[in-house]
Amino acid sequence: MTVLASVSLATFLVTGLAATQFRSQPLPPSNRLARDEALRQSVNQLEDQNRTLKARVQTLQASVKATEDESATRSSAAQQVKAQLDDEQTIAGLTAIHGPGVTVLLHDGSDPNDPNDRSLGWTVHYQDMQDIVNLLWASGAEGIALNGQRIAPTTAFHYAGVNILVNNGNRLSAPYTVTAIGDPSALANGIADPDQLAELKSRSRIYGLGLSWVRSTRLSISAYDATFLVKYAQPG
Amino acid sequence: MLSRADRTARTQRLIVVSLIGLALGFLVVIQLRSQAAVARTLAAQDDTSVALLINDLNRANNQLMQQSAALSQQEAQLQQALTAGGGDAQAIAKELTTLRVVNGEIPVHGPGLQIRIQGAIMDFELQDTLNSLRNAGAEAFSLNGYRIVSSTPIISRGQNLEIGGHTVSTPLVLNVIGDPEQLQPAADLSASSLQTRVQVDIQRKTDLAISEVITPRPLIYAQLGR
Repeated sequence: MTVLASVSLATFLVTGLAATQFRSQPLPPSNRLARDEALRQSVNQLEDQNRTLKARVQTLQASVKATEDESATRSSAAQQVKAQLDDEQTIAGLTAIHGPGVTVLLHDGSDPNDPNDRSLGWTVHYQDMQDIVNLLWASGAEGIALNGQRIAPTTAFHYAGVNILVNNGNRLSAPYTVTAIGDPSALANGIADPDQLAELKSRSRIYGLGLSWVRSTRLSISAYDATFLVKYAQPG
Repeated sequence: MLSRADRTARTQRLIVVSLIGLALGFLVVIQLRSQAAVARTLAAQDDTSVALLINDLNRANNQLMQQSAALSQQEAQLQQALTAGGGDAQAIAKELTTLRVVNGEIPVHGPGLQIRIQGAIMDFELQDTLNSLRNAGAEAFSLNGYRIVSSTPIISRGQNLEIGGHTVSTPLVLNVIGDPEQLQPAADLSASSLQTRVQVDIQRKTDLAISEVITPRPLIYAQLGR
């Protein structure tokens, strides 16, 4: 009787615990997969739309530029303003440029797979780009591009998982190439300065995160591929 | 020699122990599978990232639609002047003004935020704040009397900051022009991380003036064209 009671009690407890375990299980894998798939499809559709819209903006930009050039031939006032406009477009990054400079290369390091290290220090973050671009400006860069995307006055870096988003939804991923035009020695010395990018350089040593730079006599940078909208800042 | 009763009792004990062992084993397996599923759910933090990406793409596409509309309007205006037989200097001047605002070359005013930071912060903290505000559509910045654009270097010099080569010290007053509704959450987020060390005060302004301007540096190394 004692043994039977023990078996009954153990079975009861075990069944209760098992039931609790089953109830606390997460969503079945099929639901998760379906949700992931739906999210991925949304991204694909939005990126298709993004490409179409960018192409439309670029076509319109070319058309506006052609009409402005035509206007400049018809009126001396328009010609004068057009010359100033060309200068401002260059400053704003709306013109492709070339010249000597430095290329900075970055790639993710190795995941230490260490449960005590959840820092993700082995990956390149958007803040790293922010720091490098800032340092290159400080070292006299005259134009900068990240994976071909021109750094324009409105450029902001945005976190998007393993990607970095810049300039109207351009999704960039590692490896990253930062191209800067300017005095190659000044730019390289800025990056090499041990007091600069100290945290990134430390992660490079610890996780094998790639950080290197090379001087060049001729680099080219594309123009910013969109336009600027100013809605709130009024002149004056 | 064990008696029949002893053997029966022993068999029963073995059955009980086996049953408990089986049940525990079952529970251990369930527990491990459950943990693995949780790990996969954590790995699916991608869902959050993907959701953020969808939000960003929606915002970018809206921006591009607005840019298309503005360019179409500009094109129509220029074409109208051409059809009338002349060039439209005014339409070109309007674009010129927009670029001068973007490049920080003329004074501007408009709604926005004034962010006062009482205490020393590091260069990367200011960069993070500016980056968040740019993502929220900020159109113009000034800090303690200096205009800031994206190419303005920000460097820590001890307790002070150097903004485009000019040293500024605490208290820092950052003026930001843009849609206050959009800027406020970005400013709040930056403040929440700074407020652990320094006092941050954010005020909405209906008309904030930024009179500081930047003189663009001449290009020495860069030449036009690819």
